[in-house]
Amino acid sequence: MKARLLLIPLAPLAVCAPAYAVTYLTVEQAQSLMFDGSVLTRDVRTLSAAQVQAIESDSGVKVMNPELNAWRDAAGGWFILDQVIGKHELINYAVALDAKGTVRQLEVLDYHESYGGEVHLPAWRRQFVGKQHGSTLQLNADIKNISGATLSCGHITDGVRRLLATYALVLAPAEH
Amino acid sequence: MRWCSPQPSIERARPLLGTCVAIRVRGTSPAAAHQAIDLAFAAIAEIHRLMSFQAATSDVSRINRDAAHAPVTVHPHTVRVLEWAARIAQLSEGLFDASIGGRLVEWGILAAPDSRQAPDARASFRDIELLHGRRVSLLRPLWLDLSGIAKGYAVDRAIAVLRRCGIASACVNAGGDLRTVGPVTEQVALRTAEAPRDAIPTVEIRDGALATSCGADTRRRHGGGWVSAHVAGRSGEAVNTATTVSVLTKRCVVADALTKVVLNNQAEAPRILRRLNAAAYIHHPDYPGSGWKALGELP
Repeated sequence: MKARLLLIPLAPLAVCAPAYAVTYLTVEQAQSLMFDGSVLTRDVRTLSAAQVQAIESDSGVKVMNPELNAWRDAAGGWFILDQVIGKHELINYAVALDAKGTVRQLEVLDYHESYGGEVHLPAWRRQFVGKQHGSTLQLNADIKNISGATLSCGHITDGVRRLLATYALVLAPAEH
Repeated sequence: MRWCSPQPSIERARPLLGTCVAIRVRGTSPAAAHQAIDLAFAAIAEIHRLMSFQAATSDVSRINRDAAHAPVTVHPHTVRVLEWAARIAQLSEGLFDASIGGRLVEWGILAAPDSRQAPDARASFRDIELLHGRRVSLLRPLWLDLSGIAKGYAVDRAIAVLRRCGIASACVNAGGDLRTVGPVTEQVALRTAEAPRDAIPTVEIRDGALATSCGADTRRRHGGGWVSAHVAGRSGEAVNTATTVSVLTKRCVVADALTKVVLNNQAEAPRILRRLNAAAYIHHPDYPGSGWKALGELP
């Protein structure tokens, strides 16, 4: 193996806390990977206040966005896009549910991580909230990895629990 | 060091091993890349299932529940990880010790497992016995925690699976424990407990493994001091949570475990790093200059 440590100066334009951002899959790529080319129909729902409350009470997870970004396939499966925000990270991910509402596959679409220790949370979040793939603020185009104190992915686990409650309380009943 | 222009690559990520695991593959068709990545994720998920401290059916949970009473038969991968853990524990004379689960439960870092009895305060890695026929026995009750080494092993497994699929160039990164194969030099930004002031510490690595440990993200108050997921083997005390350690070597399983050795004892670490052909970079906000120092030399 070969290795060395470099100290790469921060760009003078980096006024915000530096961040690491990577896009793994676009929505279209994730759909094609997870549904192998089957036709998906967009099925966006806006959750009512009562539904939000029921999902939160069932899953124990707060619903940050009442818009449910979903697609369905002919066999009764679902493709759902979701976003979770942690202390240091913002993650867009997609879940494929089969016709029984079981998670068949989960793929992270993009990942944003604050770089460095104590980050002023509201300012850091403002960089990303509402943005889609390929955020412009990056450490350096050549840096494709980050290594450091391990960030938990517990927010994705919570997000999936919230989506499964959403399926059981909102999507599945509507089909019967 | 040759600087390679980036080849088209395919990268995917999934939540596994309590972190976000990313796999990047180059130099093959998208279909072959996705198939290989699927298999590599499955290999990591298998390690996750076997070595989880929390899941009741994992090998680790079965050992913690029963192995002090009767030998528990485990998966070959669990045997491999226990062998690596024993080797590094012996070489470091207990600076790395996977018997620290009890202390992490006491500190509130881990939830108490389902176990027949509380861990014996005198227990150490020496009380974990690997018997013939993939059986594990505990000489004293203890709570085994493989999270300081299993992530590195999972990365090595994923790389082995990718190679078996004919992938010649790849990088697997499990929340900072990473390994790379092939001709591409990877740049890896190191994240420390402290936000960078004017420069980003970056490791360039080719055909090797890098693991980083720092207690900053798991630290919490306990009994008037700070504790984190890192326990000093031998003493059972908390390791300084402001220090960040990155270890470079061939295998990720070794790099992962050695970060704990270096965090634990910098005086003894060079001897152990040398024995395992590894080197380390250590950061502490109070170190002079850049805050970094190097320990050991790569072969």
